[in-house]
Amino acid sequence: MNEDYQVTLTIPAEADYLDLVRLSLYGFAHRLGYSYEEIEDMKVAVSEACTNAVLHAYPGERDGRITISYEKRPNELEIRIKDRGAGFAEAVPQLSQVRLPERPASIHEWEPGGMGIYLMRALMDDVEIAQEEGTEIILKKRLPN
Amino acid sequence: MTPKTFQVHYQETKDRMIFSLSGELDLAVAPYLRSSLEAALPRKEKTLVLDLGQLKYIDSTGMGILISILKYRAEVDGALSVENVPSKIKRLLDMTGISQFLLAPSGQPGGSGGTA
Repeated sequence: MNEDYQVTLTIPAEADYLDLVRLSLYGFAHRLGYSYEEIEDMKVAVSEACTNAVLHAYPGERDGRITISYEKRPNELEIRIKDRGAGFAEAVPQLSQVRLPERPASIHEWEPGGMGIYLMRALMDDVEIAQEEGTEIILKKRLPN
Repeated sequence: MTPKTFQVHYQETKDRMIFSLSGELDLAVAPYLRSSLEAALPRKEKTLVLDLGQLKYIDSTGMGILISILKYRAEVDGALSVENVPSKIKRLLDMTGISQFLLAPSGQPGGSGGTA
């Protein structure tokens, strides 16, 4: 278990498969020794990335796929969430522009947009978004000591 | 599809409409939760109670639903109470800033307790 290794999962781009992604993440991260809390954080982040793909990657298509890969690297777990859709680009704000929603004085001013990206950044050590033949979100978490 | 682990149990008392949520709340079960709550949302004669004691997971979709419930109840001037929030769920609500509206005691600044 010391060498680097990778597990890949491909799912239909449908919400019904999100729990399968969380289960697979749990299995992989647990083997690497992450704490319960760390795994719960990563579950949310990965689920948010997949939710974005489910909602935006394949508008009007029925056979879209999302590929999730978990890779143990020397110092970190790298999780890649990749779709081949065209519809995501406009839905992803520039990472540099993502920040916590301004604490509104009233709940009526609250707009939940961007919360998913915000959570990914808050819960992981690093987040990258690459767009080439679809969208790839790369999440990184330092390996536990 | 496979059976979902997310469930909503409803119980009505003299002055409360209690929805007990259990399992994992994500995009897949959002329509089920919305439809479960639909009839109760406009009823302002009773407090709408969300018991999250058995909720294992929530994501931004679920939190978006909580925000929409808050907004709706405020608009109809109906009381809302969110109870038994597990610590890991509360952490996410804190992180996104929703706690200040969702969990503030009724009647205090920022509270969501409506007329309670």
